[in-house]
Amino acid sequence: MSDFLQNTLDGLAAGASYALLALGFTLIFGVLRRANLSYGPAIMFGAYAAAWTSLNFHVGLGVLFAVMLATTVLAGAYVERLAFAPHRAGSAVAAMVASFALWMQFEEVATLVLPRHLYAFPALYEGGPLPLGALTVRVEALVMIGVAIAICGAVWWLLYRTRFGAAVRAVIDNPIAAGLSGISVPAVSIRIFALASAIGAVAGFLIVTTQEQVTPMLGMWSTLKGLLAMMLGGLGSLPGAVIGGLALGLIEAHSQWYLGPQLRDFLAYFLLFVLLAVRAPWMNTRSAS
Amino acid sequence: MMKLLVLAALLAPLTVHAQTRADMQCKATGKDLIYDCTIRLARGDQPLEGAQVSVGADMPSMPMAHNVKPVKARPGNGPGEYLARLDLEMTGEWAVKVRISGKVRDQVVLHYRFDERGARPIRRR
Amino acid sequence: MDEYAIGVLTNIGLISFLGLSAYVLLISGELSFGQQAFFGIGAYAAGIATAMFAWPLPLAIAIAMAGGATAAALVAWPTLRLRGLYFAMATLAAAEMFRIAFELLHWQVELGGERVGPDGTQGFRGIRWIFERGVEPLGFLALVWLLLLAFVLGIWWMERSRLGATLRAVGADPELARSLGVDVERLKLAIVAASGALAALGGALFAHHNTYIEPRNFDLMLGVHSLAYPLIGGLGTVLGPLLGAALDIGVLEGSRFLQGYRMIVFGGLVALLLIFRPRGLLDENLVHRLKK
Repeated sequence: MSDFLQNTLDGLAAGASYALLALGFTLIFGVLRRANLSYGPAIMFGAYAAAWTSLNFHVGLGVLFAVMLATTVLAGAYVERLAFAPHRAGSAVAAMVASFALWMQFEEVATLVLPRHLYAFPALYEGGPLPLGALTVRVEALVMIGVAIAICGAVWWLLYRTRFGAAVRAVIDNPIAAGLSGISVPAVSIRIFALASAIGAVAGFLIVTTQEQVTPMLGMWSTLKGLLAMMLGGLGSLPGAVIGGLALGLIEAHSQWYLGPQLRDFLAYFLLFVLLAVRAPWMNTRSAS
Repeated sequence: MMKLLVLAALLAPLTVHAQTRADMQCKATGKDLIYDCTIRLARGDQPLEGAQVSVGADMPSMPMAHNVKPVKARPGNGPGEYLARLDLEMTGEWAVKVRISGKVRDQVVLHYRFDERGARPIRRR
Repeated sequence: MDEYAIGVLTNIGLISFLGLSAYVLLISGELSFGQQAFFGIGAYAAGIATAMFAWPLPLAIAIAMAGGATAAALVAWPTLRLRGLYFAMATLAAAEMFRIAFELLHWQVELGGERVGPDGTQGFRGIRWIFERGVEPLGFLALVWLLLLAFVLGIWWMERSRLGATLRAVGADPELARSLGVDVERLKLAIVAASGALAALGGALFAHHNTYIEPRNFDLMLGVHSLAYPLIGGLGTVLGPLLGAALDIGVLEGSRFLQGYRMIVFGGLVALLLIFRPRGLLDENLVHRLKK
């Protein structure tokens, strides 16, 4: 029983990071109706900037986070300008392939500046895990879950208690009607990109300080996890993104325990495939894409 | 039917399986991810002498891009030894492709992990 | 021609099969993030056939293509009614499942004192059929391009036929096509199977050219590249994906003086190109104008 609880706890912590990644993907998809293939890579780029800073200067975690946040948001803005804004009225496939092309750029710049395949990153918490009865609780996990809750709360507040949020929801609902009623879709678009990038930066920072390392694979990894979590929860739904992320974390933690790491990943993809094939009700498969 | 049999006979597999064996040692030159590598080639029990050897490298992800232009290896000191200088873009795992031509034509792929000091063969689990 | 140039041209040919595979899907309105899996299936199937069972290469290629078509049909059949990004994500999930399956595949036979066969994440080495038969690099290059051009011709001929017009109609407006009596699902299934066979053919040839394959070769990176080639080269003609592949491998290899900056330059060029030509260089408009 305590194994089950331990796995559940670990799963929630991982799920919290997936939820944040999925939230960022969904914000962009909701407003733009496109998947941003550079979302993960922009986070990786920010992580590399922070890693470079930590290698060359003696600064605290706060400064590193600020560097990562700023870099990721700037990278996100770059992607929005170059890959999404020009195709707003045009082809979704062109936008996605363009965002992929920028992924290649981020990866190359990162590996040029830091060519090793792995770099150490300062830890979020130097102490060990805390015992809680028969369970061990890692402080990083608590921080991850707490931050995720806080961010979800902040996003909810932004969307439902501000004018900007009302504009965003209008664009998500019906971009054409929103445009006609005076909302500037491009302005909403770039701000949502910035917000999504910021959320991604937070998730990414917590991930690299928990794993205490940065690798170039971070881009591919966050993209796959974020897309998977977003789809599991129902494409385009913000609460769905959070639930999808948590569910993915829980499914992974439990299936890894019983089936090992490769089957763990296999199961997650299999689940998504089946849910899509049967067009499970919350998947929103009937709405236009 | 006869035609099929003739075709099958023509395409029948050779039973000779003389494979080239390769062994590599690399040392970092201290310059920006450039490695001096010594490759020992053997065929059966004999060291392979006098072959034209070119050495390239590929990253496992995207094997047709992201690769290192093949360099010609020069003969080394010992029997079956060839020397090549590899200029890699990143440390980490590389699939080193050793292409042999001349008297013998073959290709061997070696899996090595490159770091600041040199390269070690990889046995991944 | 020096061996390096032969290698580059061979790679362009090999990757063109992937580009063609994505192309036929794109013009019929489907977006797939999974073609790399069929490429991988072709590679493993052909490698197993020649390296482990000593079957001849033509047979191995046929098996590979059948495998690719079957796998593609298996993926498409339950997911055909999904639109746009949903179908794309289903193909991505399926492709990752195949890649993990390659990681779990351990099957080796003892041949001449050596163990030969796929060994999970260690990969599958020793696919040496062309070396054992003394096939020269130029000969293999010719084989790759002959096959490629044969299929290019086939697709070109198909595009000029009624089938081609139907495909593009389905791509542009499936509902309209359905109302005009086209069995959209059956057609899409056939096209997906064909795209799987094409990708698998490329994979089979790749396995023999490289002599070594591993699961990591067939990841999402390869899949999105396969999408990029027809989109850059142009969706207006079957030569589009070939142009895209030539630009990628050609620009990548040709600009070695940009050592280490190739992806930055190329990525930027692609993004910029798509702004001005979102359907590629040889898009439908240009092809239409050139035909006049």
